[in-house]
Amino acid sequence: MLVGAAVAVALGATSCGALNPTGGGGGGGGAAGAWKPRGDVRMIIPFGAGGGSDLAGRATAAGLEEASPGLNVNPENREGGAGAVGYGFFMSKQGDPQTLLATENALVTMPQTSKVPWTYKSFTPIAKIAEDGSVVVVKKDSPLKSCMDVVDAAKKRRVMLGLAGSVGGTDDVAFRMIEQKTGVKFARLPTESGSEVVSALLGDEAEVGALNPGEVLGQLRSGELRAICTSAGKRYAYPELKDIETAKEQGIDITYSQFRGILAPGGLSAAEKAYWIEIARKAVNSKAFKKYATRNYLQTDGVQLYGDDFTAELAKKETELGAVLKGVGS
Amino acid sequence: MIDHLVLGFETAFTPVNLFWCFVGVLAGTVIGLLPGLGSTTGVAVLLPLTVTFEPVTALIMLAGIYYGAQYGGTITSVLISTPGEAASVVTTLDGYQMARKGRGGAALSIAAIGSFFAAILSLILLMAMAPTFARLALNFGPPENLAIMLLGLVTIISFAGDSRMRGLAMALAGIMIACVGVDAGTGLTRFTFDNVNLMSGIPFVQVMIGLFAVGEVLYQIRSGGAQPIRARFRDLMITREELNRSVAPIARGSVIGYILGCLPGAGSTLASFFAYGVEKRVNKRGKEFGTGAIEGVAAPESANNAAANANFVPTLALGIPGGATTAVLLGAFMMQGIQPGPRLFQDEPALVWGLMASFFLGNVLLLVLNLPLAPAFAQLLRIPYGYMYPLILFTSFVGAYSIDNNFFSVWIVFVFGLIGYGMKRLDLPMAPLVLGLIIGPLLEKNLTQTSAIGDGDLSLLVTRPLSLAILALAVGLLIAPAVVRRLRRRPEPETPERDREPVA
Repeated sequence: MLVGAAVAVALGATSCGALNPTGGGGGGGGAAGAWKPRGDVRMIIPFGAGGGSDLAGRATAAGLEEASPGLNVNPENREGGAGAVGYGFFMSKQGDPQTLLATENALVTMPQTSKVPWTYKSFTPIAKIAEDGSVVVVKKDSPLKSCMDVVDAAKKRRVMLGLAGSVGGTDDVAFRMIEQKTGVKFARLPTESGSEVVSALLGDEAEVGALNPGEVLGQLRSGELRAICTSAGKRYAYPELKDIETAKEQGIDITYSQFRGILAPGGLSAAEKAYWIEIARKAVNSKAFKKYATRNYLQTDGVQLYGDDFTAELAKKETELGAVLKGVGS
Repeated sequence: MIDHLVLGFETAFTPVNLFWCFVGVLAGTVIGLLPGLGSTTGVAVLLPLTVTFEPVTALIMLAGIYYGAQYGGTITSVLISTPGEAASVVTTLDGYQMARKGRGGAALSIAAIGSFFAAILSLILLMAMAPTFARLALNFGPPENLAIMLLGLVTIISFAGDSRMRGLAMALAGIMIACVGVDAGTGLTRFTFDNVNLMSGIPFVQVMIGLFAVGEVLYQIRSGGAQPIRARFRDLMITREELNRSVAPIARGSVIGYILGCLPGAGSTLASFFAYGVEKRVNKRGKEFGTGAIEGVAAPESANNAAANANFVPTLALGIPGGATTAVLLGAFMMQGIQPGPRLFQDEPALVWGLMASFFLGNVLLLVLNLPLAPAFAQLLRIPYGYMYPLILFTSFVGAYSIDNNFFSVWIVFVFGLIGYGMKRLDLPMAPLVLGLIIGPLLEKNLTQTSAIGDGDLSLLVTRPLSLAILALAVGLLIAPAVVRRLRRRPEPETPERDREPVA
């Protein structure tokens, strides 16, 4: 354990060292021409194929390819341990500008819940490209009509949540926030993916689930599942989702969304970092990414951040989550 | 139904779709052949190529890769004891022994024939009653899946031949190896010694390559090397007698494969192990299993193909992927702007039925492709082993490295190669170890979930009728041989009957 901490500190130090020159050098955009990837680039997706994070990673890879003609970005799933496996693997790619990772909340939550040898400081944040709020759903015949109903039910009886990802996962954090605000306690069924949550809901193993809209829309359309609220800060603009109330509207004062972003390994040169930031800026305007964002009902306007701005937000998130996840794990 | 079929074939029979179906199954066969490259990776890697295609064409090709890989994985399993796909691990047990006896061509032929019939049978079931099966599969919650995993552990015993203790010990060793890495329930790391590479666990494919391919080569080198097979081309063909013997195993394997394939998460690897275990108990030649019985190839090969098709049951009917590869395919649906879910059959009939019709065409193509090639591939065994060893070692290590471009994989293959050699010297069975490695994480996940549902109480396992029935079957399998031994005086036709019924 001591060794692990030492490693984390050492890595944090090296990546800071790598970041500083970038800040000092200013106008990094000019240096973009100085470096270009040679051959194929890998995009690590730290979750299983088919889920929300997987779709995000694949679309981001396609967007990057479109933004830089001739570039080949291969998505690669490295699932397990609620993301820890993928990020852990990514750690072994320090200084390798040919490998990227489709990042999301686990980047900030994992280091707080588990003894992983990394924090966001071990890597080079490139861009936050979208936010993906969760929709809280129940089976069609459930008596629960709103998230407040869920809270009220939990005051009287055991309410089983189907969660994709374990402690510290997006769903877990969202419900943990609800628990802290309202003082209720939920029972949890840990699963590895959104599709397992859908199975559990349809099979009556879980009563309430939180899923990204893209993962659950097929079931919502067919009427098998019903949406009762969203954890996003504001209602969706999409016509299919605009009637779903936010948790806030229903009187539960929480906001939590999954962010989607691009992460590069720690220890990159200024030129390498600048190159990826420039490509990422183009990628979010690519046809492939825009198509993905609308088809999966992401919120993109006003949430995109690049380079050091993204790093600053990660720092803020880390403090915020520290309070929610205090005492979890270890 | 007939209208739908006509619509499906009209969709699939266009030159463009037929061409890409062929490309898909051919690519699948090659991907299946290569150790380390599985169908999941294959589909994921080729997915971006299909973005510009019509949705139905893209899915026809990608699905072709999936079931094509089930055929391809067999070839190396039989010829050089190196499974190209996880679902072909069991095939090595009898397939490789058959090859050593000069019947490699027959083993490959029966694998192709069995796979074909399994595919057709499961396709009919898929077309006729996918929504029904999908609904039934929803009854399989964590307690039922946990019971299935326990049943799986019990079937392991039958792998070990005479020594059940050795089989169980190896299965437990496999489960223990599977414990390394991140705990699925809490996200905490176990047994990783702060090594980042170990956080993803001991990877199963690398272990398989090490045990089977490298272990076998080392063992052969020590035992002085086998003689290359000197058989005429005609002798490599399958005989009528072998065909007759395989009919029942193919039927049983297909049914087992289909049922397990419908369950989200069980997958074709488990199906092939199950089918082998059941066949060994049910078949009157069960004692010959492991020494090159054609039934031991026919059953698991049919099962893995049936399971591959059945994986589409929850995928198409509910929008819930049946396995890792169908999960990637589901991603392809969404990339094409198609929302998978319970309304897919109504909203996109041309796509769904066209895709299913393409399964039929693709399997015909695979049969046509594989049958004449089987004896041709078997000719490989004429090459003196002195030339084969370096080739096998080379493909093993390069294959291992290519899985994740990480040298750690090569070390795993090397270490497990030595372990595999040691196990052969000590006559310890390897298949239970591999099955333990596969079942371990599934067992743990379902155990965690069952415990969560019961609030720490596992009694759900015996209070839910379905899981109780599966558990009872497992206990029956466990004690049946002992009971039979007690009743040795009497002839024993009863046991097979009893075993067969609930499984099918």
